[in-house]
Amino acid sequence: MTTLLNASNVRKTYRLGRVDVPVLRDASISIEEGEWVAILGSSGSGKSTLLHLLGGLDRGDSNSGPIQFGDEDLRKFSPRRENHYRNRDVGFVFQFYHLLPELNVLENAMLPALVGLSRLRWHREKSALRARTTELLTTCGLAHRLTHRPSELSGGERQRVAIARALINHPRILLADEPTGNLDAETGRGILDLLAERHAAGLTLVMVTHDATIAARAQRQVRIVDGRVV
Amino acid sequence: MYAPLLANRYLTSRIIPMIAATAVALCVALVIIVVSVMTGFLDMVRTSGKTLIGDVVATHDVTGISYYQEFIRAIEALPEAVAASPIIETFGLLQMPYGPGAGARQLETVQVWGIEPESLDRVANYRDKLYWRAPDAALAATLLPTDPRLDPAFDRLAQGMSLTNLSGEAGVVLGIEISAFNERQPDGSYQLETPVNDILPVFMPDTSGVTLTLVPVSDRGSLGGEKKRRFAVVNEFQSGVYQIDAQRVLAPLNIVQEMLRLDPAPIVSTTEFEANGRPKVIGESPARATTIVIRAAEGVTPQALAKAVREAYATLVDRLRNDPATATVAFTMPNQLSVMTWEERLADLIGPVEKERELMRTLFSIVYIVSAALVLAIFWAIVQEKTRDIGILRAVGASRAGILWIFLRYGLLIGLVGSIAGVALAWIIVARLNEIHGALGSPAPLWLRIIVCVAVAASVFMLVRGAMRASALRVVLWTFATLALSVIAIALVLHQGFMVWDPSVYYFSRIPSQLDWVTASTTMVGGILFSVVGAAIPAAYAADTDPVQSLRFE
Repeated sequence: MTTLLNASNVRKTYRLGRVDVPVLRDASISIEEGEWVAILGSSGSGKSTLLHLLGGLDRGDSNSGPIQFGDEDLRKFSPRRENHYRNRDVGFVFQFYHLLPELNVLENAMLPALVGLSRLRWHREKSALRARTTELLTTCGLAHRLTHRPSELSGGERQRVAIARALINHPRILLADEPTGNLDAETGRGILDLLAERHAAGLTLVMVTHDATIAARAQRQVRIVDGRVV
Repeated sequence: MYAPLLANRYLTSRIIPMIAATAVALCVALVIIVVSVMTGFLDMVRTSGKTLIGDVVATHDVTGISYYQEFIRAIEALPEAVAASPIIETFGLLQMPYGPGAGARQLETVQVWGIEPESLDRVANYRDKLYWRAPDAALAATLLPTDPRLDPAFDRLAQGMSLTNLSGEAGVVLGIEISAFNERQPDGSYQLETPVNDILPVFMPDTSGVTLTLVPVSDRGSLGGEKKRRFAVVNEFQSGVYQIDAQRVLAPLNIVQEMLRLDPAPIVSTTEFEANGRPKVIGESPARATTIVIRAAEGVTPQALAKAVREAYATLVDRLRNDPATATVAFTMPNQLSVMTWEERLADLIGPVEKERELMRTLFSIVYIVSAALVLAIFWAIVQEKTRDIGILRAVGASRAGILWIFLRYGLLIGLVGSIAGVALAWIIVARLNEIHGALGSPAPLWLRIIVCVAVAASVFMLVRGAMRASALRVVLWTFATLALSVIAIALVLHQGFMVWDPSVYYFSRIPSQLDWVTASTTMVGGILFSVVGAAIPAAYAADTDPVQSLRFE
């Protein structure tokens, strides 16, 4: 197996008013290709912050250690490479779905693909992209909801749209932050089944959760306590 | 490709952008309407003034210009000129055949112009200014069926052009506003009034005449005895300039010359006498005119024509002074005339209006800043509302430039939609300004009062219903609606009509109603530009927003 992501001695401090609050203290984690890793921890332990750093949404402190994606250091990414990394290399799934309310299911799911398309390419690849997104949404059980707005969907359906959106650009790694945290147990199981299907198909998966029974679905579990991976 | 999709969706799925676009539209419409009316007003002043006096005016004092026919021939021989016409300008008293009380007669101080209709028509389109004439097809299409001009019995074009009535009696043409009973109708026409003291107070048909009194002035400035003469009223004219229409009387040139002693007269010797003791006639003083109005040839500027006229006059005076037959009089002629272009002649009228327009343009340009401030405030609210969306977009790989472009494009669309709507609104209002003004000048129609009263009753009903359902929002909304409708209903019931544009205060009988497309275009561009400027700061703020902070934003 090859290492896809490797974070060593990552530090992240937030400033709250006049007080510096260290959230991550020399946290290290390595993610192998094709692996499903669950990051466990209590509220405020720094697990979501670690996920944001792994996904290039945030940057560590100036004295933080590197986060390697293959042979690239995320700290040295240019703004353009950083955008490309978020768009192509990783996919995000959030606890609160974070869908755009003005767009319908199909448009929300194809949003990352649209971000990477020029107007010319859009006109050329429109049909193919629509077909690909429809197929993906169908596999997520949303074939009958394509033109619906997020406000017309249930929580489980919204999370399925969010997963489809995260997968549309075929990322190498999916980062899920409490993907079932806002769902009832049965719906949550359905979402985990969907993620498991994707993992079985070869997707690398990093999932943050505070629930040990959900973390048990992963191949490997790491725990984060007081900003350190233990 | 996501930027246009999102910008379009943001624009169409929220009420806030509609409010922003409406604000831009109202600002743009306001600027265009004000500047269009001011520009139209200025154009009307210029056009009306010009058609009355041609391109260039040569004048001398009340003693007149001798040998003016030779001068006109010299002018018409110039390549710069097309036609010239003599005029005598003076003041007089006009007595009407009726007045406000029984037996009273209206007496007006008037500006009298002695004219030659045919030549004046060539210079200043005199024929087009005559009011009582059969309208051409284009004009007829705009007239109400009740307009008397549509009745061939009121066609007095031939009399107006000859300044004589059908009996051959000399006639005058009065400004349409001189007669106190000639009241303008809301549609701009002048209707025939019912008889007052058994006399039809409008002179058409010309059943009664007027008396004109002029006072001749000698070369030395002393006043001669007043000259009275009765004239038939053969037509009325409408220049479009109220001050002119309310004061000017056009009379035959030769008769005015005669009354002012500007007609041909013998020159007698003060030292030589005939056998019968009378002074010996040694020559003839030619007829005189105080003013020559001149029309420029196509493509010739008034300034170039004025220069050529000055040179032609100098040449003429030289020639006349060198001719023994004319030398006696020619040596009394001034070396120079006052030769002015129509713009110089109307400077006192045009200048203040131009300044007013520029002042208005400057003042109302502040509206642009208001528009930008409105868009900025609204966009700030939109960006706040969309903070989480911005985080999502950044999370899926959208660049800062992409986020900036979404909101700039959003501002551009609001500016575009608002500006186009503003131009359309301005066009609708400006094109119907006189109709709107006419409606304001009339009592509100009964049907409209009934509709508004019914709307008030419906609004009160909805208010009570909202109160019974304990809905604070409905109570507040319907209270406002009831108050607004009640104010409108009271205003409509009490409204008996008022004229905002009083032609006795302003110069024109109709409000200029031509959209100034140059101003409309620049205002539209300004509206779009300021909308983008208003959107730029919130857009940059949005682009700089930290994605993690945005995703946590509630």
